[in-house]
Amino acid sequence: MDFRPSSAQQMLVATAREVLRKECPPELVQRLALDPRGFDDTLWRRLAELGWPGLLIPPEHGGSGGSLLDVILLVEEIGRAGLPGPFVTSAVAGTTAVLAAAEADARRRLLPALATGERLVTLAVLESSASFDVDAVALAGAVPGRLTGSKLFVPDAHVAHDAIVAVREQGDVSLLLLPLDRAGLARLPLDTMSGEKLFELTLDGVAVSADDRLGRAGEGRRPLAAALTAGALARTAEMVGAAQRVLELAVEHARTRVQGGRPIGGHQAIQHACADLVRDVDAARGLLYAAAWRVAEGLAAEADVAMAKAYAGEACLAVARRGHQIFGAIGYCEEHPLHLLHKRIHAASLDFGDTPLHLETVARAIGLA
Amino acid sequence: MDFGRSPDEEAFADEVRRFLAEHPPERFPLDGVDAGYGSGAHSHAFMRALGERGWLAMCWPEAFGGQARPMFLKLVLLEELALAGAPFGPLAGSWQTADAIIAYGTERLRRELLPAIARGEATFWQGYSEPDAGSDLLALTTEAKRDGEHWIIRGHKIWSSHAGVSTHGLVFTRTSREARRSRGFSMFVVPSTTPGMDIRPIRSLTGDIYHYEVFLDEVRVPADLMLGPEGEGFVALLNGLDSDRFWGRFYKAPALLRVLRRLVDYANTTVVAGAPLARDPVVRRRLAAMAAEIAALRLLFYRAACLLRDGAPITYETAVAKVYADETGQKLARLGLELLGPWGVLRRGSRAARLDGDIAHAYLTSLGHTIAGGTAEVLRTTVAVRGLGLPAEPKAR
Ligand SMILES: Cc1cc2nc3c(=O)[nH]c(=O)nc-3n(C[C@H](O)[C@H](O)[C@H](O)COP(=O)(O)OP(=O)(O)OC[C@H]3O[C@@H](n4cnc5c(N)ncnc54)[C@H](O)[C@@H]3O)c2cc1C
Repeated sequence: MDFRPSSAQQMLVATAREVLRKECPPELVQRLALDPRGFDDTLWRRLAELGWPGLLIPPEHGGSGGSLLDVILLVEEIGRAGLPGPFVTSAVAGTTAVLAAAEADARRRLLPALATGERLVTLAVLESSASFDVDAVALAGAVPGRLTGSKLFVPDAHVAHDAIVAVREQGDVSLLLLPLDRAGLARLPLDTMSGEKLFELTLDGVAVSADDRLGRAGEGRRPLAAALTAGALARTAEMVGAAQRVLELAVEHARTRVQGGRPIGGHQAIQHACADLVRDVDAARGLLYAAAWRVAEGLAAEADVAMAKAYAGEACLAVARRGHQIFGAIGYCEEHPLHLLHKRIHAASLDFGDTPLHLETVARAIGLA
Repeated sequence: MDFGRSPDEEAFADEVRRFLAEHPPERFPLDGVDAGYGSGAHSHAFMRALGERGWLAMCWPEAFGGQARPMFLKLVLLEELALAGAPFGPLAGSWQTADAIIAYGTERLRRELLPAIARGEATFWQGYSEPDAGSDLLALTTEAKRDGEHWIIRGHKIWSSHAGVSTHGLVFTRTSREARRSRGFSMFVVPSTTPGMDIRPIRSLTGDIYHYEVFLDEVRVPADLMLGPEGEGFVALLNGLDSDRFWGRFYKAPALLRVLRRLVDYANTTVVAGAPLARDPVVRRRLAAMAAEIAALRLLFYRAACLLRDGAPITYETAVAKVYADETGQKLARLGLELLGPWGVLRRGSRAARLDGDIAHAYLTSLGHTIAGGTAEVLRTTVAVRGLGLPAEPKAR
């Protein structure tokens, strides 16, 4: 066993931390959350220059051929900075779906622009059942034909160029890659408490042809599962990073906020709360790394990913809530970074499968009948 | 990063599993009760069997009769033993005492005690706590006075686990009064049969004998049974605490996994109102959440293990792991009792007992774990002050 990141990984993390410290300060995060578009083109181009969107993409298609573990370390820093937006959506989940589903010519067509960050894709999976269970996909897709229905909670659809839409074809799941400006498609914004940009995607007789397929008919289950796994781990990394930030802020506050003549961190009640933050963050991070390592090594990891996501969902949310208590009133105001970290953790805990869904996977893995 | 076992570790795990198949743990006679930490009951016979395989000394330097094998093999051994429910209660204490003797023991301790530890014959009780010295260990009053080539110990120890069935006590005493409150303490390795020691059992809430109270009346101990430099015993004790917390709890995660597996089996085979308990969504979620907690716990310990192996600084990692181990154990035992309902409280051997009454035993023993070896409160303070740099509370004195 070895918990140390490789030197290349250490470099990636150090660069990410430095770049995000300079170019994604809390004020920007705050502004993006309140702004309806909430996307900073300059910052995205900067991240693209660093090669981040191409991390998962093989070198022959313009990426750097990193592993999911590398990506997870990077997303942890993104979560720590509170940077919202399409990285997880497009560069992790969307890209994973393309990598897993697309055939040779589609790979050549799509991957280079995804690697440079010029093209953004989102995933349109959820429907009114709000379930990330692949079996819950119900939108009927006849190809060629017309699609009518709606997809819910589609992230970053306003800045994405295409949506990977999961549809049901004769009992199986297929994936379609639809340009978001196609006639009959509408993106209706949902107003989230976290400031994350989510949409309902309505499809009103959208014409689809065989050219829109991502992978073969009825073979969407495996690539979709791969994308959901990558997305679940990335969202877990975001939670761990955000919880780490809450821990750092809370400890700093406990050291410097003086009441009754001494720092509040000199009181055991606050000390013990801080000790629990450390426990929660460290424990969640351990499960995250171990699961990402298994995926990166190509080992069976379904239960590990589920445990990591379910655990972080509870533990990191507990960190955020305890953080609020340690901060007192200042943490309640909009200007303070705490609430956005908290809301982001909450949003991440729901995305790519909520705690009950992942616990059910674990329940089966431990042998419950 | 690497979260798997190395081929050597995997091969060793196979070897341990074969040993356990050939020597079923339940066949070994027991000398002392299972205190629920995960290391099972106290069995000299089992310790001797481990000694015969050469596993007790395998990581010691060759000059001390060991084979200088990597520390992680000890983790493999502990994990496999705990998963099998083997009675290796004294093992962690023996290893730690051996490590201290190798690091700073006298010639005599090295010559006499190390081989006895390697054979699984010598086992140790800790004589630290006293009636008025618990969390504040420095309040202890047991004293040792020099008398030529001997020290003479007078005092009163309490809560000494397995003192009545272990061969030697590690008796922590005051040997001088110094300006610094933490100076002037020394540790002795005292054979349990030394005249003047009165070792009296205390019955625990489980109904078993586990703790002992030890009265030391003019106990004469040869000077070369002092462990570590005179007067520096507390420093040595503090330095040992991180590894104490680590080795004293490392096997908790695999032991809890064993309990969880039994509960899963129970839920699958127990029908309530026409359906297996395992179909109850609340039961499923709670057992699954426990599986995640146990996996997280295991990784916290492995992270600390990597730091220990690499000689990296440890400030809070073992303290966090210990508290988490103890509280996770309490949570699992509580869940187990709930699943078993009225059967949960039936003791081993009772008519109609389920899972051998083990869950009730686990529940009761787990209550002591957040007290023993540093209370959860004291350790949280350690995490905050030593790990996070928060200001220490003013001392009362
Ligand atoms: C199962 C078990 C096995 C044990 N085995 C051994 C053994 O083998 N050898 C041995 O020497 N001892 C042993 N002990 C004793 C153990 O070391 C002590 O119980 C422990 O140090 C706590 O001391 P105490 O019980 O006197 O509690 P106290 O120190 O009186 O504590 C009582 C309560 O006050 C809290 N408290 C105390 N000080 C502080 C503080 N500064 N800040 C905040 N809260 C505080 C504690 O957290 C606890 O909740 C064992 C105990 C148990 C339960």
